[in-house]
Amino acid sequence: MRLGVLLVTCIPLLTPMSGCLTETIDDNAIGVESDDKVLTIVTYDIYGLTSERISEFTNQTGIAVEMIKLGDAGAVLNHLLQTKDAPQADLALGLDNTYLQQAIDRMVLQEHGANVSNIMDSAWAPYNGSMAVPFDQGSICLNYDETSINASQGRDVPTSLWDLTSDAWKGKVAIPSPVTSSPGRAFMIATTDYFANDDDQNTDWSDWWSAMQDNDVIITSGWTEAYETHYTGGYGVWNDDHVGDANFVVSYCHSPGVEAYWGDNYTISTSLTLDRASFHQVEYATIVNGTKNAEYANLFIEYLLSEEVNLDMPIENSMYSVLRDSELPEDNGYRYHSDLASLNAQVTPKQIADNMDSWLAAWEAALA
Amino acid sequence: MACSLGGCTGLKRRSENIEVAIPFLIFSALVIIPLLLALDRLIYVSGKMPWQVFSSLDEHYLSQGAIGFTFTQALLSTVLTLIIGIPIAWQLGRYNWPKIRLIRALLTLPFVTPAIVAAMGFMAILGSDGLDIRGDKSTYLVSLLFAHAWFNIALVIRFVDPVISNIDPSMEEQLRLLPAGNSLQGRIRWFWFPLMYPSVLCAAVLTFVFSFTSFAMVRWMIPRNATLETVMADVGGAAGIVDYQIFSNELVLASSTIQFIVLIVALWLLSVLQAKRNQTIAEVSESYSRKRSRIGWMILTPALVFCLSPLLAVVRASLRIAERGPVSSHRWTLDGWKSAIGGDYAYISILDALQNSLGYALLTLVIALPLGWSLSSGIHMLEKRNSYWAKPLDVLTMLPLAISGIMLGLGILLGIIRISTVFFTFWWMPAVPHIMIATPFVVRLLLPAMRRQDPLLIENAQMLAMNRWQILTQIRIPLLRGPLIVAGIIAIAMSMGEFGASWILVRTGAWDTLPVLVDQMMSRPGFDPLVKPAAMAAASLLMITTLILFLLAERFRPDGDGGMF
Amino acid sequence: MLRVEDASKAFDKVLFKELKLELSSGERLSITGPSGCGKTTLLRCISGLEDLDAGKIFLNGIDVSNIPPERRGIGFLFQKPVLYHHLDVAGNLRLGNRDADVSSALKEVGLDGFANRKCEKLSGGEAQRVALARALLAEPKVLLLDEPFSAVDEKLRSRLLKDTISLLSSRGTPAILVTHNLKEAKSFSKNVIMIDEMIPKD
Repeated sequence: MRLGVLLVTCIPLLTPMSGCLTETIDDNAIGVESDDKVLTIVTYDIYGLTSERISEFTNQTGIAVEMIKLGDAGAVLNHLLQTKDAPQADLALGLDNTYLQQAIDRMVLQEHGANVSNIMDSAWAPYNGSMAVPFDQGSICLNYDETSINASQGRDVPTSLWDLTSDAWKGKVAIPSPVTSSPGRAFMIATTDYFANDDDQNTDWSDWWSAMQDNDVIITSGWTEAYETHYTGGYGVWNDDHVGDANFVVSYCHSPGVEAYWGDNYTISTSLTLDRASFHQVEYATIVNGTKNAEYANLFIEYLLSEEVNLDMPIENSMYSVLRDSELPEDNGYRYHSDLASLNAQVTPKQIADNMDSWLAAWEAALA
Repeated sequence: MACSLGGCTGLKRRSENIEVAIPFLIFSALVIIPLLLALDRLIYVSGKMPWQVFSSLDEHYLSQGAIGFTFTQALLSTVLTLIIGIPIAWQLGRYNWPKIRLIRALLTLPFVTPAIVAAMGFMAILGSDGLDIRGDKSTYLVSLLFAHAWFNIALVIRFVDPVISNIDPSMEEQLRLLPAGNSLQGRIRWFWFPLMYPSVLCAAVLTFVFSFTSFAMVRWMIPRNATLETVMADVGGAAGIVDYQIFSNELVLASSTIQFIVLIVALWLLSVLQAKRNQTIAEVSESYSRKRSRIGWMILTPALVFCLSPLLAVVRASLRIAERGPVSSHRWTLDGWKSAIGGDYAYISILDALQNSLGYALLTLVIALPLGWSLSSGIHMLEKRNSYWAKPLDVLTMLPLAISGIMLGLGILLGIIRISTVFFTFWWMPAVPHIMIATPFVVRLLLPAMRRQDPLLIENAQMLAMNRWQILTQIRIPLLRGPLIVAGIIAIAMSMGEFGASWILVRTGAWDTLPVLVDQMMSRPGFDPLVKPAAMAAASLLMITTLILFLLAERFRPDGDGGMF
Repeated sequence: MLRVEDASKAFDKVLFKELKLELSSGERLSITGPSGCGKTTLLRCISGLEDLDAGKIFLNGIDVSNIPPERRGIGFLFQKPVLYHHLDVAGNLRLGNRDADVSSALKEVGLDGFANRKCEKLSGGEAQRVALARALLAEPKVLLLDEPFSAVDEKLRSRLLKDTISLLSSRGTPAILVTHNLKEAKSFSKNVIMIDEMIPKD
């Protein structure tokens, strides 16, 4: 009697153990021979990769694409590390130069074989090797709402990051946490370099963060929340949950250009391009160690680097292209409103890999 | 057979014991092993034991205040839920209402609504196309409390209403005619309070449990406050990797241990209270005609509006799109649905996600229902034998409720997948936490039904020389058809709405479940105004599917049952 | 003393119409007839648990028709003994009178030593005795008894009836007994109203 019930219970549990369910259903599993050519990409939500782009790739090469979509670049690295012994993807998109070294050190990547001759030199500046291919780049820095500047009320354009710790900007700066956000992480890394090289030898970067905490800095878990919910200078003002309590936010130096482009050449946002308070970020396409579809991955990388795709990065992906001689489009004030610092933070990927844990610990201690 | 009807000895008892033990072993394996493995992994990577890491929660900015906030919002949510829920349960239990089954079903709808849908609903109500108060951060906490209360009112109704509606009116009438019951306070003190407090406390404990581990609502409605659950979600993905972000292991270890302790205590309290509650439910054989309430509509109407608004708001928001401009405005559109159905490389079609969700739900059903039946049957048999095993095993079946969604997901990620990474390739892995969550509900539904069954029915069948398989298939299952159907549907609904564990485990875009898809769509940068209505369309689809399942279940539910669900 | 004036009540049919009733101190009355004919309803109306369609009720000269049941000072014994299981026997008695002398009250109804018993453990007869003791402890102006002994077996019933009568007499409490047992009715009181007398034949 109950035995019958138990048997019914056990059967569904037993069949997967035999593996037969996996083979019949999951035809697209990595390593299983089948007629379809499939490339599995693990990435975070890069909205530059639209259906049209993917379909084009499939049409050109006959390779279908499956996506594993995670939250952000950090999640991509986590995934690679978690699945190291049984990689689920062939290609990882979105690791940047703050994560790359760790990925290389832990051997979750393998060499690529794509043709990368048309990439500009500056994109190779952080990393120049065969384990990763840049496909877009940008500089991370603070943006601010120009309408919030009012010299007569003591709200001047900051000339130093220390200005942000003054009463004028109390509670008006929004920064994503370096623990959970890669722009936040990049900005924090920049501050380590900024304060190591400023005039004041008595204080370092963690002192600044402590001072910012005392000045009610708004720390969010992600860029989206900081930019859309808190920042007064961006498109977030039209969003449902817009709070609008921050006049400063960490974003890209070219974000005002993006705002202008989509806003008919109008924006109130501009970037604060102080030397070393800006971080040159490069995003990479990397082949996952152990994949059997490296060939497909290389084709996709070359597709990403093709002119039709990569020159469209500023429009499709809101990032700079990595191709030689490429520039931001001039339309709608994109190029006009975008800015770059004359000097980015000088931190190498190796320094980042070596120090990240202690930096994060120091950051947390500073804000606690 | 060597047994008489009255008692069994030797061989039969031993084989019965084995038959009880097997489902429990399977269940324990499903629930306990991943967790133990995950705990082991966390301890190994962090190099610390759970009691050594409690302080780490306060040492990290990311998790500062998480313990305090988790407790505070759970307690406040519980209080608010009782304040709103008790008058509603009173009205339902005490007075005669036309279409009372429908009203009750509508009022308990929130509980089976997936949390992510509820979060979206409240965001829609509070956003700029609604009350427009999200601009004020100080409203966040109160909004969360109301969202939790909305979700858990059903518990108050399910626990308290049957107690009130089943009492013999002469009990109250008698007291009115005694000096002690002359005044309202007297009647409350001597009658209503002793009668109701076990049920009220049962509802309160469960409300606390669900609010304590709430994920979707906290994540969306009060993003800047950390709870133990959101801390685990934030750092869980990086845990379990040697020499990498060690602190994430400490935080997960600390959060999950605290959660587990609090929840085990809560569940133990619950089982004590439920026993007390069962003493107070008197099954009344006659039906008394109840009075009609004159002011009751003033309570039930707002209650119905409150319960239904977030659900309607989700659907409405899926048909509205924001127009950029100097003043925020919205217009009606079907583009959200079109985009959601069409899918995109940013997200799969909601119809595909629905298919995935239903697939997992079906798998959950096929396993959780027989498993739950075996567990309930086993406990019932032990109870009849007055075995001291009955109670602990009863509590054991509730164990998954003590483990939050995120921890279940991490348990599998860090635990099972550590045994062998081949588990990553099994498409059915996300169903495991669904099964773990659904089974306690199945037991909670079937066990009271089994208890209520007249044992003479089984004994009579035995006298007709039916063997055990025949009794099972021809007597027991058909008699419990109603509860079985309800249990099955609840299992499907729980699976479809499961968010936390699925969020951790979602492995490929193609296997997204609907709840995870809603979250992904809402998380996209909101630059494109189409993102919001598309996400709401996904949420609407999820909600409508769950609603249909639930209303189906209600048709089969026996009236006034005293079970938990 | 109790006076009912022109009481009328109808559900689907007329239960009683222009009923007049008077009960003085120390008097007892029985109402008898087949079940479902309004006897219980009459008691419930007198106690205030239900409203009359027409007519008035006077207690000690005061019109209590519009006063809620808990303020009328009327005692009621239901068909099934209504004891509160979360209290023991003593606790139940104290509901009738907070300062009750529990032991002497129990002695009076022959339940000496039952003070700390749990209510679930009492037999039907014992439970009804407790309910009776409790009702009397409240010193009601009138005691209404709605077939309180119908669930008790034959032998016990007459004993209980006798004991009840003596308790009521010693206190002089007026009482109305409703029963379908004519013999019981006649034992209880000289005045017995038959059910069809409740409806005037016109």
